[in-house]
This record gives sequence, structure tokens and C-alpha cells, in this order.
Amino acid sequence: MTRYLQNVFIFLLLSSCGVAGCTSSLKSEAVRIRWSTDPQTLDPLVASIPQAQEVINLLHCSLLVGDRNQRISPWLAQALPIVSRRDSLTLLTYSLRPEATWDNGQPVLAHDVAFTLKLLNCPGLPTEFARTQYGFVTDIELDVKDPRRFTLVCRTAASGIIFSSGDFAILPEYAVDPQKYLRAVSLSLLQTDTVAALRQYPGVRSFARHYRQSNYGQHPERLPGCGPYTLKAWAKGRYLRLQRKAKWWATKLTPSPAWLQAHASRLDYQIIPDNAQALLAIRRGDIDLYPMPAARDFDQLRHSADTTKLAFYTTDSYEMVSVGFNTQRPFLRDALTRRALSLLFDVPGLIQATQPGLAYRSVGIIRPNDKPAYNDSLSLAPFDLRQAANLLRQAGWQRNSDGRWVRGATETLAFSISYQANAPDHEAVARQFQAAATQLGIPVKLNPAEEQLYRQQLIQGDTDLHVRTTRGNPFTYNFMTILHSRSIGLNNFTQYRSKVADRLMEAIMLEQNESRRVKLLRRFQQQIQQDSPLVVLFFIRNRLIASKRLRGVQPLRVRPGYDALNLSVALLGK
Amino acid sequence: MARMILRLLRWAFTVWALASLLFLLTSLLPNEQQLLIRLSETATGSRMPSSEQAAVAQQAVKQRLGLTDPVFYLSPATTNSSFGWRWQWNGTHNQYHRWLSALLRGNLGKSYRTGETVGITIIEAIAVTVPLTYLATLCIVGISIPLGVWLGARSSSHWLYTALYMLDALPLFVVALLLLLLLANPDYFSFFPAFGLGFEEDDSSGASTLLRYPSFIVLPLSSLVLSGLTEPTLQLADALRHEAQLDYMLTAQAKGLTRKQALWRHGLRNALLPTLTLFTELLPNLLAGSVVVEFVFALPGLGRLVADAAAARDYPMLLGGVLFVLVARQLTLSVADWLYQLADPRLRISAS
Repeated sequence: MTRYLQNVFIFLLLSSCGVAGCTSSLKSEAVRIRWSTDPQTLDPLVASIPQAQEVINLLHCSLLVGDRNQRISPWLAQALPIVSRRDSLTLLTYSLRPEATWDNGQPVLAHDVAFTLKLLNCPGLPTEFARTQYGFVTDIELDVKDPRRFTLVCRTAASGIIFSSGDFAILPEYAVDPQKYLRAVSLSLLQTDTVAALRQYPGVRSFARHYRQSNYGQHPERLPGCGPYTLKAWAKGRYLRLQRKAKWWATKLTPSPAWLQAHASRLDYQIIPDNAQALLAIRRGDIDLYPMPAARDFDQLRHSADTTKLAFYTTDSYEMVSVGFNTQRPFLRDALTRRALSLLFDVPGLIQATQPGLAYRSVGIIRPNDKPAYNDSLSLAPFDLRQAANLLRQAGWQRNSDGRWVRGATETLAFSISYQANAPDHEAVARQFQAAATQLGIPVKLNPAEEQLYRQQLIQGDTDLHVRTTRGNPFTYNFMTILHSRSIGLNNFTQYRSKVADRLMEAIMLEQNESRRVKLLRRFQQQIQQDSPLVVLFFIRNRLIASKRLRGVQPLRVRPGYDALNLSVALLGK
Repeated sequence: MARMILRLLRWAFTVWALASLLFLLTSLLPNEQQLLIRLSETATGSRMPSSEQAAVAQQAVKQRLGLTDPVFYLSPATTNSSFGWRWQWNGTHNQYHRWLSALLRGNLGKSYRTGETVGITIIEAIAVTVPLTYLATLCIVGISIPLGVWLGARSSSHWLYTALYMLDALPLFVVALLLLLLLANPDYFSFFPAFGLGFEEDDSSGASTLLRYPSFIVLPLSSLVLSGLTEPTLQLADALRHEAQLDYMLTAQAKGLTRKQALWRHGLRNALLPTLTLFTELLPNLLAGSVVVEFVFALPGLGRLVADAAAARDYPMLLGGVLFVLVARQLTLSVADWLYQLADPRLRISAS
């Protein structure tokens, strides 16, 4: 029996050595990156999670791309579009790069862009999200003389439409619609009257059926792209491997801009759901890059002996942790009460507890490093119970004999604070607030909820106070999604309604002049601090842990926090 | 033969009833917010649809997923109904009918999240979970029987009892993490790979895959085995100790068998009956436990699939997973019946 067990143990050890041998052979070639979850689907129409977006951006190209410095840069387009006006419409005229080709050598043409836009509006396909996102492009006009030149007709003049008009993956008409069913249909007809489109062009139905049957979401290899990589392997829930194309069109460019270079010959995305596992994996050398580790893990590891093998990177981000007040609740309707409650957050203590050295404060929803727009004349909210009590009194609240705060005969200041159940940082915020409020005599109930349920509660306005992390966009200042009264029931979880703020947000979005926009932004921050529909606790820093064999690691302010195109592996002996 | 058919019908009924209940419960939840949630996930600064646009889009998603039809044959009446004043008859044009008809044709539907066929996804997940859980079952059975017999011949104050009780007190995720931190950690021993099942290399031969696979599976397998070992082992040991007191065992020993031989040849068969129940419970329990193990060791199995589907409200996937567990459970119960009759012929006679 003992000998048998010994044999089994030796076999397992040998096989683990075999694995070590295999993985070390892989080490020399591939850049191995940790993902917490599988991309689930790689169909550009339905892919929503960041992992899927990342892969789609490596398999396909869009017209424009955000470069490493968060500037809009031309990708498939030769240059940024020429903007002109026609009545109330905005026209964006693009020219495609002559070097851009599909894998079969055919050039990428304006017809492919037109096809993609029609696909995003095609009936019978899951285009609901795309329609809401790209519905502002009402038509595409192709240049009869130049097959690479076209004009997008947009119904809005908002400042962010340039990037929005070029951030979708361009798909090849020859591969997806070889029968050219969509070529005859106009984009405007597909957008406005799908029934008429189907009646007049029965081929659209056949196309939709063919697209669904192709199942591009699970078989992305059937959908050729003009991006630098092709899908080599995808084991669901385990890994995804991308291989750099031997002949990618952008390699012909001279000089080649940084965002048109792909360094790694192979990218291996390893799916490791558990953070503890991922930490072990980077320490063991099983992966090369661990993006956004938990702040505590990052802090511990960078002060450990592993610094000889690992490199640590941080940078600012557009992600803020904030607490929103449901401004429709009777006791939270007045700004004074909200401002008083804002003083119950011990922000420096929270940063120390949840993001040691990896977060920074802000007076509002604009990053302090965004120098011209950030309103530095405003002051940070202090953690001050006495001042909070004074503000509550000014708001009409009185502390009665049993220590509770009441207003009039009916109102008692007692509420709950909601947060996502598996977010320890958010829980820490809620607990600290509860402790401070209890000191002041305000009963606060903690209300953790499962992720989807929590989101539903937020959408329906079923919370009093809520903690959440919000991601910003570096390419435009559009706060309408989270604070405009039209977004109530969608993304405005504070249910905040203010005509002044609404007008300011609309003006910011439409303003083209930079200095006037900066003025509006500063005024807007002041307005938000005054009304306090939410209190921004801190902005977090993006974090990366990378193996020292990895080259070209540059932390980015936007997710995923790194530029996979720039990564490469240092060859042995170099 | 008639009994077999009857049993099969009872099986089918149980599975149908439970799956239908789950389908109706999930369909009645206010959950069809797939797109609304997606819209609410968009980053600040992206284009904002109006609430009307969002409502139209939401309705289109529901229509695409077939969620606009009535849930069941009967639904609460909104206007004057043909069936009393409270209910209205929807005919076969309802979600449940469509789901059941598809199910009878072997079609479990498509995932809300990925659009992939549920059946294929489940088969892929089973390919990871089933070998793991079956191996764990075999290991537990293979270890607990000799260990139980060995312990049955010893005093109940033996140190191994304490060790097994301590092991039983540890939750599965603690056992899994302990093994991970001890045997796949550069600080201690880095014997085994820490996660997943490795890459399937294009040029790898079957032999190298076969050689690599055990090392990936050893930690998850050990976690399941260590957590499931105590109950059947101690149950068997106690049952054997009880059997050892009985006259037939004394007779066997009087006829010249050693105590150990008597336990193996005569005692075990009688003592095994209650343990068989535990063994048949093992597979469903291990399936449940595989959620934890698959999460900790990053294995793309059924447990993780069902847990993810539940968290994302991907009901077709969730129902498919639950249906598989139900069928597996029914199967193990039948195996238990068969084993009972094999171990104790009296049951066969009384049944007939």
C-alpha cells in the first residue's frame, strides 16, 4: 500500500515537472495576461464586457483609436475627420488609409464602413444596444470618385461625436455579406423603418439568418478582421490565445505610429477568477501581467521580496468612488442635509484603509490632474461631525430627547446605505459612514446586495444612499449619463433633478470652444458641490504588476490599464 | 419490466416537476433587464439614450429573447377573460410551452449572455466536472472502505478519528486554499500548477496531455477527497465495530478466521448498507462542492458555469445546469437501489 502511494506521488511530481517544462517553453514567446473572467462572446454586436472589447480591438480596427496619452488618433482613417455643417446636421468626412487591407489582400473601403453601419442597425440581429449608441449617425455618403472617402451624417453637434463616430470595429463586407444584401438598403431606412426595409429588401432577412447561423460570437475565427492579431485558440473559461499576423498591413507604414505597432508575437489571456490564485500565478511566473490587483495585495507585494522578479506600476485613472444620495427621498431632498451627511466620510482614513497610497481626493467629478477643468477654488469636504450637526440644524433637523434627529412632526433622520455585497472597499465606506452617523445619533442600516440586484435597485431608485465606482471617459466631458434629469431610470441613480445643472451639462456637451468649456466645467463642479447629489470620495489609481521579463509596460488611465499592442517579452540573453 | 417502466416514469415526472417549477419561478421574477443593465454599465461620457429610446430597446431585447409572450398557459386576466374572471387561457402560445417542447426535442435554448447553445456549453463544462467528481467519488470509495475497515478494528479513541473530525470541520474552500497555499506556493512547495488545465498545444501529443493532466487535477481532486472522506469512513468504522459484536462474527472467528479476515469477508457486507447511502449522496454533494473547487482552481466546470449563470440571471443556462444535476441525482439514486439489492439479497426478495 505504502509503495503504491509512493509510486502515485512520484508520478504526480514527474507530471508537474512536465508541466513546468511545457510552461517554460511557452515563457519565451507569449505575453501572458490575467483575466478574471471569460469574454463570453466576441460578436461585435453583443460583446459588452471589457475582456471581449479588448480582444475585438485586437482582431479588428476601428476608424479612430484612443492612444496611450488618451488622445484621439486615426487608426483605419488616414486622419481625423473633416467637420462641416449642413443645416442642423454635422458632417464628418473620413478617408481610409490606402495601406489598410483585409487578410485576403483586398483593400478596406468605404463600402466596408457603410456595411458595418448597416449591420449595426440590421433588423433580426441583436442590434438594440448598437442602435442606441450609433443611432446619431443617420446616413453615410460615399464619394463616387474615391472609394476610400465617405461622409457620416450625424444628427448631433455634441463635442464627443468625433470619437463616437469612429470607435466601432469595421467588418469586412466580402466575408460577412458576400451576396451584398445590405449594399442596396439605405442606412436611414434601416434606422427609421425596419418593417419597410424588410418588405422592400427581402434579402436583409436572409442576411440576418446567415449572420446568426455563423455564430461569430463563439467562432470569431470565421470573422476576419483587419487588426494585428488572429484568434489562435479559445478554451472557454480557461484561456484565449492571439497570434500576431505574419503580414499585417500597418507594418508597411513608415513612419509607423506607436498605436499601429504590435510587438508581442503571441498574447495569452489566462482566465483566473480568484484574486488569491492570480497573485500566486504572478509570483510563480505563470503569468506576466496582473492588471488591477486589489489595492492591498498590490501594496503588500511591492513591499515584499518579490520586487526582484516583479515590477509595479501605477497611474491616475478616471474611476471614482462616490456615494450618491437619492434626492427624491423626502429627508434627502434638501441640499443642506446632503451636505451635512457628506461631512461624515473620513476620506483620508478610507483611502488608508482601502487603497493605501493608491487613491487621491477630488472636490468633484473631475480629476485634480485635469488641470484647466478642475475647479481648485473649491475646498475638499472635511470629516467634521460638529459641522455636520450644525448643517443639519440649519436644514431644520432637531435632536430630540432620545437622541434622534427629527424634522417637524413626521420626519425622522434614519436611512440605509446600499452597496455591492462582494465589494469590500464599498463595505468599508458604508461601515465607516455608519459608525460616524451613529456617533451623531443617526441610525444607518447597511444594505448590501448582490451585483445584479443592486444595479436593479439603483436603476429603480430603491436606495437611500449608495456607494459605487464610476468609470469616466477621457475623450469627452459628458455628465448627462449620470446626473441629467433625462437619465433618471437609466444611469442617474441619485434621481437628481436640477434645471441649472441640466442646462450646464447640455452646454458643456455642445460647447466647441475650449476656454468657454473650461469655464462651464468649473461652474458645473461648483453647482454639484452646492447641490451635493453625490459626494466623490476619491479617484483610484490604476495598478499593474508585471514580470520583469516584460517590455513596454505602460500603465494607462483607462481600462484595461495597459496597452497589449506595446507589450513584448525580453528574449533570453538580452 | 413493468417495474422498470414505472420507475422510469417516476423519474421523468420528478425531473419534469422540479425543472418546470424552476422555470416558472425564474420566469416570474422581474429580471428581464438585460439591456437596461447594459445601458447602465456604460461609462460616464458615452452617448446617452433617452428613456424612450431605452424603453424601445428594452422591448426589442425582450422580443428577441421571447420574453414578451405570456409565461404559462394560464395568466392573471387583464381584461374580461374567457376563463372565469380571474384567469385567462393563453393556449400554447406561451414561454413554458415553447421551452418544454424544445426540451423534449433535446434543445435547452440559448444563453442570454453569449447566445451559445446551452446544451453544447453544458457538455463542455461536464467534460471538466464529471471526470473530476467521478474520480473524487472513486477515490473516496477506494480510500474510505479500507480505512473504515482498518479503523473498525481499532479503538474509537484512535488519533485518526480526531484527525478525520478536524478535516470534516473545515469548509471545502479552506481545504482547497490550504492545499493551494502549501503545495502550489513559491514560499513553501511549488509542486503543482496553481490553476486551470494548462494550454492545449497544437503540437502536443496525447501522451504529453495525459502526463500533464494529472498534475493539474491533483489539488482540486485532493480538496474534494479530503472534504468528503470523513463521513463514509467513520460511518463504516462504527458499523463494523457494531457488526464485530454479533454472533456470526464470533462464529467466523471460531472457525479460524482472524478478526481482520472476518471483518473483510463477513462484516463488511452487512456494515456497508448504510454507507452505500452515503456513497450515493457523494456525487451530488461533490457536484455542489465543485463550484468552490472550480472557482479556487480556475477550472471551467459545471459548478462555475451554473454559479455564473445564476449571478448573471442567465436563466436558460441555469435551467440547463440544474436539469443536468437533477438527472445525475436521479441516476445515482437508482444506482443506490441497485447496490442495495446487490449487497443484501433479502431486499431483492422482499421487493419482488
